[in-house]
Amino acid sequence: LGAALCPGSSPPSPSPLCFPPTVTSEQIEHLHRRFKQLSRDQLTIRKENFDSIPDLEFNPIRGKIVHAFFDKRNLRQESDGLADEINFEDFLTIMSYFRPIEMNMDEEQLDRFRKEKLKFLFHMYDSDHDGKITLQEYRNVVEELLSGNPHLEKESARSIADGAMMEAASICVGQMGPDQVYEGITFEDFLKMWQGIDIETKMHVRFLNMETIAHCY
Amino acid sequence: EDVGSAVAWVGAVWLALVLALIVLPSALGVSLGISEAYMWVLVKTLEWATIRIEKGVKKPQPQMLKSPAANGIIERDETPMEKEIAHLHRVDFEFSDIFYFCRKGFEAIVEDEVTQRFSSEELVSWNLLTRTNVNFHYISLRLTVVWVIGVIVRYCFLLPLRVTLAAIGITSMIVGTTMVGQLPNSSVKNYLSEVVHLTCSRILVRALSGTIHYHNKENKPQKGGICVANHTSPIDAIILTNDGCYAMVGQVHGGLMGVIQRATVKACPHVWFERSEIKDRHLVTKRLREHVADKSKLPILIFPEGTCINNTSVMMFKKGSFEIGGTIYPVAIKYDPQFGDAFWNSSKYNIVSYLLRLMTSWAIVCNVWYMPPMVRKEGEDAVQFANRVKSAIARQGGLTELPWDGGLKRAKVKDTFREEQQKNYSKMLVRNGSIG
Repeated sequence: LGAALCPGSSPPSPSPLCFPPTVTSEQIEHLHRRFKQLSRDQLTIRKENFDSIPDLEFNPIRGKIVHAFFDKRNLRQESDGLADEINFEDFLTIMSYFRPIEMNMDEEQLDRFRKEKLKFLFHMYDSDHDGKITLQEYRNVVEELLSGNPHLEKESARSIADGAMMEAASICVGQMGPDQVYEGITFEDFLKMWQGIDIETKMHVRFLNMETIAHCY
Repeated sequence: EDVGSAVAWVGAVWLALVLALIVLPSALGVSLGISEAYMWVLVKTLEWATIRIEKGVKKPQPQMLKSPAANGIIERDETPMEKEIAHLHRVDFEFSDIFYFCRKGFEAIVEDEVTQRFSSEELVSWNLLTRTNVNFHYISLRLTVVWVIGVIVRYCFLLPLRVTLAAIGITSMIVGTTMVGQLPNSSVKNYLSEVVHLTCSRILVRALSGTIHYHNKENKPQKGGICVANHTSPIDAIILTNDGCYAMVGQVHGGLMGVIQRATVKACPHVWFERSEIKDRHLVTKRLREHVADKSKLPILIFPEGTCINNTSVMMFKKGSFEIGGTIYPVAIKYDPQFGDAFWNSSKYNIVSYLLRLMTSWAIVCNVWYMPPMVRKEGEDAVQFANRVKSAIARQGGLTELPWDGGLKRAKVKDTFREEQQKNYSKMLVRNGSIG
């Protein structure tokens, strides 16, 4: 898979470690075409390439989403930091966080699946990569979500963030003593918060099944 | 010199044939049926090719002939923002809202409605043109042979023929309109100007092997009206003038285009603006209003999208054309991409390569629907009127309707647009009592 991609060629076949067999080669072709469109026929995409998507402009957390594509923690599990540019393989790796549940998954696979998605989300909040979501980081996210509305002051965003952190603390740590300081939400705490809530159906992008579209000659 | 005289003799015969078989019938508005015969052969060949491709496919791949993914490749959840977030909300504002925006963001990255409109439509089946052979690899020997024959026919026979015709057409347009322009203003002059314009349009359409089907001719634009149509390519104007005379509106260009513009405006009152004048919207509106008010003048032809779109959708109509007043005659133009792609992707090709591509396609086939006239209703502003006309055209031509501005081809989304959306989200939070 390390082979260079020529812009004109068809995409390489995926390695069996990265993708389950249910991602069809046709979907990969579609994504490849999209990749070429975004990269303007170059081999890699940079942050600026995402500027050409009008729909994305509306998104308040646009910055975080684009950032997620270049976050090395999402690209390769062990490393850290930010990549300057990503190639098609990296693009597919990030897209795979949003693949839908398949029918034939067993318990262990489902659990791993869910953890992967939550980890992706966790990385989005944890912007300094220290493994904890601090109050400040959470405040940043809330402010971004509410940005663009001139009527909301920073104070409101602050109070929302503070309230949410308190709730998170009560779930994860239980009753805190008066001297205890809640450092931040670790990934285990994060998982605890989302126990029982079905995120798999909320965090996926499902490809249309092409065969069911009627053929008109 | 034998070779020289032989070449000259062949050239003379060639020119005589072209004049007799194509130019003369154009002038008289008659058809000799040659194009129809060509189209019939073409259709049969392409049908045969499609069947061979189907047979030649080794694995069972229904996707090979899938319908073009104009409706998108991903399933979009159209649940409005409120419902989705309400469902996830526990107490206050939570991590949950991020899901919604995350997903929306990813959907936009995988596919967005706008960018795909600025590249050519994908074909269902290969039409034996090299340029469209993206998905279809080597199938069979017979098909390849036919394709090679096609290349020879297109480049060695059709291309020179078309270039000759185009040259004749443009030259006669310039010469003819200049001559007519010398006459004093009278009904004779108008009549002759119409004849010249029509003849030259017909020659130019034949230069592209154009087969145009006009529908509902009873709704053809009348004098003193404004004709609006969707825009796909610079040849849209020729397609329409093939069947009637219009007063063109546009910017003055340099070069050959400028020469044509200056010549034609002598014979017929086209409205050409200098670059500086175009910026002054009031001046433009005023001039157009004056033209429309004069009921003896030909209908104006305007393309309100302002830029070429790939003929699968209709983008925002700029309201300027709808503020002039008068009766609007909408026209829908839909090209058949099977025979040749008429869309001009100006960021990819310049005008000369575009014209070359056009002239080496099989043909340009399109349908033109004239629609009943529309006027602005009481209490309707220009924007609403523009949208109403846009919907009508989109429906008639079988195109998708998009609210986006064609200017997005080159520019980013306006900040005002984006802020609207963000305001909506914040309003929702306040309502839910999350804040304050």
